[in-house]
Amino acid sequence: MDAVVKFTSQSQGRDRIFRATQYACALSIYLLRNIPERKDLVAKLKNLESNISAGRKLLRLGNAANSIVAAKQTVQLSDRVLCLCLTVANINRALYFICDNILWARNVGLIRNLDKERWSINASRCYLFSLVMNLTRDLYVILQLMLQRGRDNRFKCKMNQQLSDCPEVAEVVIPELDALVFLLLETLRSEPTVALDTVKNICDLFIPFDRLGIYKSSSGVVGFCGLISSLIGILTLARPTLRIKP
Amino acid sequence: MDSWVRFSSQSQAKERVLRAAQYACMLLGYTLHKSRVATDLIKTISELEAHMSLTRKLLRLGNSVEALQAAKRAIHLSDSVLRLCLTIGHLNRAMYFACDNVLWAGKTGIISKLDHQKWSQRSFRYYLFALILNVTRDVYELCLLLDNEDRYKSTKSPLSSSPSSAVPADHLSSSSSSTISVATAHMWVRLRKHIHQVGTVLYSNPPLLLDLLKNGCDIFIPLDKLGIYKTGPGFVGTCGVLSSVLSIVTMLHPWLKLKP
Repeated sequence: MDAVVKFTSQSQGRDRIFRATQYACALSIYLLRNIPERKDLVAKLKNLESNISAGRKLLRLGNAANSIVAAKQTVQLSDRVLCLCLTVANINRALYFICDNILWARNVGLIRNLDKERWSINASRCYLFSLVMNLTRDLYVILQLMLQRGRDNRFKCKMNQQLSDCPEVAEVVIPELDALVFLLLETLRSEPTVALDTVKNICDLFIPFDRLGIYKSSSGVVGFCGLISSLIGILTLARPTLRIKP
Repeated sequence: MDSWVRFSSQSQAKERVLRAAQYACMLLGYTLHKSRVATDLIKTISELEAHMSLTRKLLRLGNSVEALQAAKRAIHLSDSVLRLCLTIGHLNRAMYFACDNVLWAGKTGIISKLDHQKWSQRSFRYYLFALILNVTRDVYELCLLLDNEDRYKSTKSPLSSSPSSAVPADHLSSSSSSTISVATAHMWVRLRKHIHQVGTVLYSNPPLLLDLLKNGCDIFIPLDKLGIYKTGPGFVGTCGVLSSVLSIVTMLHPWLKLKP
């Protein structure tokens, strides 16, 4: 119980729980949409989802400052690729939060003449770009780790053993590809932080893809991907060792 | 900006800022209503206030657990009065949060048929009782400090007698009405001295002063909502803003928080 209280005392912790609940509602609505007996439940879930979404928008006021401070920190990184990817990602997140705050002001009626659709698309674009930058950083880290592992002699022996162990497997047509896949899986298994972050970013990608019409999937897929990425977010917040650094 | 990031990373901090904004909206709405400005601005402000109130209710989900934990910790205090006040205060807060969660469920439609008025009154009753216990604790701490102060003064100067004790001897021969007025004058002097002492003690003990002010401001909110002492949205809004600002100050400067 102590750990739960400690987790929920952080505003990021609560926000991730609300996000997980919001996407779980979206997924449930999609799954129950064609069952007529569950119409009341679907209506309740829709209400809950919209309430949580509105609440989260209000709670996101001021988050742009967090991203700007993070960008100021990542500008000082020594590795140039990481510095570029993370700083651009943080700046785009800050822009996304600013667009989101403006949309909130429009929703509550503080700003009257605003093209809601245009600002919503802008927000999704900024969010997508920050996700792409984060994914680029993940791929860069994975490549670096793979190169490092490939040079490691102990690993080379292990790989040769793995390749020679199963000659009867018909799929081993291109041994180099098999070696590459094995190297990739081994790298991901030894570095769970990068693996979790990559999965989270890939899942998150579906949300702006759907919103911008780049790759329209169903609301069920969006809900499922959102739920997975929120659960990973909760896990990395509860266990800081699983969070990718920087 | 760094200090905002550190401050807003606590979920209670955001809740307090929202509370200040909500009561500021209440105060602003009342002021605009009094000055008969455009009704759609008043409507926007009251909708914003309702939106903030619902979001705060969402943010408070799960606070009962935290209050129960605080009650568990308070049971182990050595001072029996503090133990009683704080434990029961936290238990009442836990009940208030539970009622508040039920109200949230009712407002979002999860619970379909809910008597909002009944549950709202219930939650305010628990809130009022928790505040009364907090004020009791503050007054008890103040009495302890005044006692200490008196003891310290008496050990410092045991031979000094109060100047007023020599005065009645002069008036022994006067009429009864003047004796009454003299007695009243003595009472005023003693009262002023006592108030001065309380003021000094509070001034040298900022956590207690802030907590007393905060609880004092907060108590008007349930008193108004329960109809015990109706003050109106302007006064309630002002008190709400003041108490929220004071609690934000105690969060920014943890040494100002009254312990335990």
